[in-house]
Amino acid sequence: MVSNGRTVAFLWNGTRIEARQGDSVAAALWRAGITTLARSRKVHRPLGYSGAYPTGVLARVNGRPNVRLDQTCVEDGLAVEMQNTWPSPRFDLLKLAQAVPAKFVYGGFEHGAWMPKAGLAYRLAERAMANLAGVARPADAAAEPRLVPGERMAVDCLVVGGGPAGIAEANRRAGHGETVALVTRGESLARFASAAGTAIEPLDPKVRLFTGMELFGVYREGALMVAAPHDNRRGAVVFDPRTAVLATGRRSIPPLVPGSHLPGVLDAHAAFQLTAVHGVMPGRRVAVVGTGAEKALADRLAALGVTVVHRGPVEELVEIRGRRRVSAIRAGTEIGCDAVIHAGPWRIDPSLGFQASGEGMFQVLARPLPARMSVAGAAALGDERIHARKHLHPGTLICPCMDVTAGELYCHIDAGETDPEVLKRLTSCGMGPCQGFPCWEHMLALLAARIDTEPEAFARPTHRPPRRAITVAQAAGLASLVEPDR
Amino acid sequence: MNTPLPKRASVVIIGGGVQGLSVAFNLVEQGQRDILVLDAGYWQGGASGRNGTLIRPGFASVAWTELFVLTVKEWQTWSKRLGENVMFTQRGYSVVSETEKSEAMLLEGLKVQKSLGVDSRMLSRREIDDLLPAINKSRVRAVQHQPEGGVAPHHAVMKGLLSFCQHNGVDVRYRTQITGLERTGTRVSAVLVGDHRIEADCVVACAGPNNPDIAAMAAVPLDGFGMRIEAMALEPTRPLIKPAIALIDSLAYFHQTSRGEVVGGTEVPETPRMSLKVDVPVMANMAKVYLEMFPQLGEVRILRHWAGQFHASTDYAPLLGEHPDLKDLWFSAGWSYGFAGAPAAGKLLAEAIAKGRIDHRMKPFALDRFEKTGPIVEGGIVLA
Repeated sequence: MVSNGRTVAFLWNGTRIEARQGDSVAAALWRAGITTLARSRKVHRPLGYSGAYPTGVLARVNGRPNVRLDQTCVEDGLAVEMQNTWPSPRFDLLKLAQAVPAKFVYGGFEHGAWMPKAGLAYRLAERAMANLAGVARPADAAAEPRLVPGERMAVDCLVVGGGPAGIAEANRRAGHGETVALVTRGESLARFASAAGTAIEPLDPKVRLFTGMELFGVYREGALMVAAPHDNRRGAVVFDPRTAVLATGRRSIPPLVPGSHLPGVLDAHAAFQLTAVHGVMPGRRVAVVGTGAEKALADRLAALGVTVVHRGPVEELVEIRGRRRVSAIRAGTEIGCDAVIHAGPWRIDPSLGFQASGEGMFQVLARPLPARMSVAGAAALGDERIHARKHLHPGTLICPCMDVTAGELYCHIDAGETDPEVLKRLTSCGMGPCQGFPCWEHMLALLAARIDTEPEAFARPTHRPPRRAITVAQAAGLASLVEPDR
Repeated sequence: MNTPLPKRASVVIIGGGVQGLSVAFNLVEQGQRDILVLDAGYWQGGASGRNGTLIRPGFASVAWTELFVLTVKEWQTWSKRLGENVMFTQRGYSVVSETEKSEAMLLEGLKVQKSLGVDSRMLSRREIDDLLPAINKSRVRAVQHQPEGGVAPHHAVMKGLLSFCQHNGVDVRYRTQITGLERTGTRVSAVLVGDHRIEADCVVACAGPNNPDIAAMAAVPLDGFGMRIEAMALEPTRPLIKPAIALIDSLAYFHQTSRGEVVGGTEVPETPRMSLKVDVPVMANMAKVYLEMFPQLGEVRILRHWAGQFHASTDYAPLLGEHPDLKDLWFSAGWSYGFAGAPAAGKLLAEAIAKGRIDHRMKPFALDRFEKTGPIVEGGIVLA
């Protein structure tokens, strides 16, 4: 996504927006000052591009629901619409749900708290709630079903992650004569590291490179791994790796404070993506918090032209304020700002490792990785601790995708329910598009702080593939590629 | 929850899933007290929280249809009796045929269903258009529709059952794995949890895929074996598919939940195994079914994919009743439609245990049917 200076125009809720060719839709909207891209499902809180939560960038694009705006390039005439609004995106009456006392929306639409017990009243209520809970209208009727054929590929080594560690590992293996494939989410290699100003070694041309793809599934103890391109017109790939290296890095977890879901709160990756790749300022006055990396990040952002008004440890941050986007933070004193960028606590997305190692008859629990798999780079450094207070404001959003607050979790924890798997089922926390990362990191930290124990005391809820990385048409394209295990 | 386990109970139920809690709930209604439910896993952690939640009265055999007519009647009363809305939604259940052979099977089944008073009919092309506007009509040969069928979400059902049980003195313990069963003469007399012994007048095994292990602990034979089955959920959208659907040729079943996810699963010819982990073929084959039957789902993303385990009997029919070789050991086992069947099973077993009355609808599912009357022949099942 590199700009060549040409301008294109697309429609946002019917309004013409000019953008630079090469922009993602999310970046183009940000450049145009539009930061609220979605509404949370229960009470219609504003959500936007955050890097952390996919729900904030899901919108309807050319009649297709739930398209990720940070992975979609602008094109002339693209019609982009906000979802989950009624009667229209510009005049959303459903926002009135924010006035409903919090405890009435605990459990969500589908958990029956508001449902009449039986009969016609229940049937009507159930249909109405199903409309609200569905968030997006189904796709416009397609003329023909189109299966997107996949491919299957055996390699000596599959490297997951296109950062410096993934490149180094791929080059090393290729240098030993192994056949190597490298899968990266980025459209190019090492986006984050190059934005941060790190020198990047070139990738050995013998390495087969798959860009713009999410490696989402580890099956048969790592003997099969599946990746799908963000562009759903391209087919998915099933790998048969002899060995695999997870060089998936770490992500910064949003601060566990009220307001951390607000548009304007960005993780370091997203902030670099905006500033270094798209040349869009994350805000006019920016606060940077973190676990040590915030100083270097703030310097780098300042060098890119960003005005940094605060830099400090994340545990000093008490609250992020704002209605439609960030307007201030409280960290010792109140500081006016319109963006908060977090660089830590850094944690590993546990999904792939969990899928590869998990075992159990009553509950799948993470184990050491199978012998064919290893971890390289930042993903081998371990998790940083999340600073959690015992008494968070009950309105603090823990799972923006399913609109689950701290208050809702407290309601069950204080009644004695401390099993993360059960909390997940009672609240749907972590059952949305992110499938538990980063919101289960927050849920476990909040639970531990509430009952005075350590987050490591709890078994993680099960991480399940494919967490929206693959469409039905792409998955159907794998049907003839993999035989059932016999 | 941390109080010590009791030393005795009138009834010990092994398994706190929908089967075990349904037996407990029905026993409470029959006036039984002093009930203990033990579960090795967590609440909703077994098949009760992982199944497709589809419910229908009509099958192709008399035995199945009689049992499931009762279960639908029971489902209709559960919200009231439990005091909580279990969200049973009778939005209809459509069995779709794509071939001449399966159409003939549906027509045969329809005769059985009609003779037993089930509201069921074959839909006209026009009715198919009205009820299933998004379906790919070129693939549909015939649709048998049961308006009384529907769905009930796990969380609402399990919450209703658990709160009823807890408010009515049933002692329910999760994360409590039994390690042995004690026999005295020709009857089962106690349940062991490590070195803790719980004396019991009666033990009911509702342990899903682990029922064969429970039988082994009591040193009695039990038909069948545990195996996994997989399902997946698509990203939510507003309502697109109204009724619950089974595709009898593609061996797939699905519905759109109250929160918009299309949830369903299919079968692939793998070697049966116990596992909570998933594999690629089910995801791919299920996606192919969706794409062919509901093209509008083609660009919807798959949110999550999971496996559950169940106890498959030789004829895939439930095993209901007291063990023929060991008194006071009861089973609600062998279920492949266990979520749907739990209300009927709970009611019939509770009546049998509390009153000694074996209902005629339960008799065909006796544990020793294979030696006595032979397996139950039922062609209308798609594993759900």
